[in-house]
Amino acid sequence: MQGVSAPREQNQPVLSTSSTILNMREKEKYIEDFDFPFCDESSKYEKVAKIGQGTFGEVFKARARNSSKKFVAMKKVLMDNEKEGFPITALREIKILQLLKHENVVNLIEICRTKATLHNKYRSTFYLVFDFCEHDLAGLLSNVNVKFSLGEIKKVMQQLLNGLYYIHSNKILHRDMKAANVLITKNGILKLADFGLARAFSVAKSGQVNKYTNRVVTLWYRPPELLLGDRNYGPPVDMWGAGCIMAEMWTRSPIMQGSTEQQQLLLISQLCGSCTPDVWPGVEALDLYNKMDLPKGQKRKVKERLKPYVKDPYGCDLLDKLLQLDPAKRFDADTALNHDFFWTDPMPCDLANMLAQHTQSMFEYLAPPRRPGHLRHHHHVAGQPKPSQPQQEEGYQDRVF
Amino acid sequence: MPYWYYDKKDLQTTPSFQDAISNETENRYRKEGARFIIDTGSKMDLGYNTVATGVVYFHRFYMFHSFRTFPRYITACCCLFLAGKVEETPKKCKDIIKVAKSLLTEQKFGTFGEDPKEEVMTLERILLQTIKFDLQVEHPYGYLLKYAKCLKGDKQKLQKMVQMAWTFVNDSLCTTLCLQWEPEVIAVALMFLAGKLSKFEVVDWNGRLPKHTAWWDMFVEDITLELLEDICHQVLDLYSPQTQASGGESPPPGAAVQPKNERKPLPVTPPASASPVAPVAAKLNAPTPIKNGAEKLLPPKMDMRFYPPYVYPPVPYSDYSAPPPTSMPPASLPPPPLPRPPLVFQEPPPPPRYPQVSVPPPHYFAPLRPPPPRPYFPP
Repeated sequence: MQGVSAPREQNQPVLSTSSTILNMREKEKYIEDFDFPFCDESSKYEKVAKIGQGTFGEVFKARARNSSKKFVAMKKVLMDNEKEGFPITALREIKILQLLKHENVVNLIEICRTKATLHNKYRSTFYLVFDFCEHDLAGLLSNVNVKFSLGEIKKVMQQLLNGLYYIHSNKILHRDMKAANVLITKNGILKLADFGLARAFSVAKSGQVNKYTNRVVTLWYRPPELLLGDRNYGPPVDMWGAGCIMAEMWTRSPIMQGSTEQQQLLLISQLCGSCTPDVWPGVEALDLYNKMDLPKGQKRKVKERLKPYVKDPYGCDLLDKLLQLDPAKRFDADTALNHDFFWTDPMPCDLANMLAQHTQSMFEYLAPPRRPGHLRHHHHVAGQPKPSQPQQEEGYQDRVF
Repeated sequence: MPYWYYDKKDLQTTPSFQDAISNETENRYRKEGARFIIDTGSKMDLGYNTVATGVVYFHRFYMFHSFRTFPRYITACCCLFLAGKVEETPKKCKDIIKVAKSLLTEQKFGTFGEDPKEEVMTLERILLQTIKFDLQVEHPYGYLLKYAKCLKGDKQKLQKMVQMAWTFVNDSLCTTLCLQWEPEVIAVALMFLAGKLSKFEVVDWNGRLPKHTAWWDMFVEDITLELLEDICHQVLDLYSPQTQASGGESPPPGAAVQPKNERKPLPVTPPASASPVAPVAAKLNAPTPIKNGAEKLLPPKMDMRFYPPYVYPPVPYSDYSAPPPTSMPPASLPPPPLPRPPLVFQEPPPPPRYPQVSVPPPHYFAPLRPPPPRPYFPP
């Protein structure tokens, strides 16, 4: 292409070099002045503190300028290193959040933009604006002052499974279940958050095989089928994460903290037994079945090892059903919700009273690491000032399961 | 969520119209932009869904901006680029630009600026804000198939009808129908048209209730014959030669016409002025289509046959090298009332073996309002 300045025919009187430049400026002015009727400016909110680091950007707590009471969480869409424009992951998250409206799923209020100016080369920055939730589960669990009764644990798990039931019914996989992505409001309402890795799934028809990436889910919560290279997975990947989180309600720290995929698989086998075609028909067909070093002769010890923490036998039984190696045998959200665990005394009970004793927000991002030296690379960016003084005095206890 | 449907008056007083672009010219720009998205998408093996989503973004975009501010082909590329990501069929920006370049004259490609990729990237943010991140768009295709499964009748004719309706849906992308009616309504109308043309008589359908007088009553409430015919005519107009003849080579005339910095951003009319939308029957009430053996009539798998086996008079979309407007932009003249096609289209889309549609005359568009006063326009 000879560029815009290539001599033009007479029928193109307006696109001479000079008028093109002028047009550019005019366009910039136009962009700067255009009042996008559907996309408010982010200046309607005032940032209060940085509260986390999502899959594709930072998260801030902010206050609506027109009301001192209304708090939101603003998630910045990082686009600086994007070669392909607005990130497809962010598009997915937006699409999915617009679809999902449920009490136990975080609510996307709107998407805001910064004004396009010469300063940002006429490229706005975008923020996803959510209802603010005071806590995340990882933050709560890392604070020893926060104590969950059995009824409260049931309430947490019931809400979590309700959320999963809803998103799975809508053919969405979360793909990043972990305690830090489970938010809890001060009123005790649980919200699944961070759909940055989520995607729609289709039920594979015979002959058609889905090819999803298996490079999803934080390692400690990653199910065995993903570690073995499955690319045709489904809702059970989230149910494994639900099992890990449920156990964590008692152990207070992630139950399997591998540092490599290989080690994660070892930890899983030590808890759930070896992955063999016996207990898991079809496992031998997975891509990495012969490439990974699979621990042999391990016996399943889920109930045995969790009993000291989880005294409730129904709880132990449900955990056993969620931490099934074979995804086909793993409980789905509906079945889990019908488990006796939720229908025996003590019944699930409201979290609001317990949370009322804690007036400070608890976020994993702000809390000291529960396992120092472990895979928490997203923590504590050097030089990052701590935005507030969360009240984790003797912060954490390094509990090893 | 924003409301994306407009009535005809809104469609005649668009930002482009207020920017001295006549309705005819704007419609041509829209048609060319849509066709270009279709051609680019087809060449890149993108599915019909991705292409249709891109086209809908394109039409929505120009309800807020003028073709003079944003030249159509680069906007079209940007819409396809975004639709690719949204529909999980992403294409690299530079590849889209490469294909675009191969399809456009050097002159048209000139509107992409010196760094086309950067232009598309900047434009993407404007596009996203303009369409309010309302990314998920439904198209008539799915409804077409769903409805067809319920119809009873000669299977071969049914298949022919569906294929023809599919093509009409493809072509409807070049109109502003997606800004007027829900995909369900468009699907019904174009099946109605295809049924007439292919002589497929719907005598009965699965899920019929006593209150149903026509098969579509099962899916969409309160559709009038008048409405169906209006929709059909809008598609048929695409094939009538007079609507194509107007206008010349197009990069929107620029600063010469009007000092642009004097122009205020458009007062944006929120699209609240609802078109008389027929309420779509609650989906729950719709009977689950019962298999009647029609499921094999699936239109061409994925390789979006925008041109089906029965080729009808090709519309010379690429053939717009008519001389440019000589002096004034058309919109500065009192716009003539839109010519309506005669009852029967002159070059019927399907070859002569199909009968002509015999539909009563549709009501005419209301004559256009005179454009707003333009103080800066030289007399």
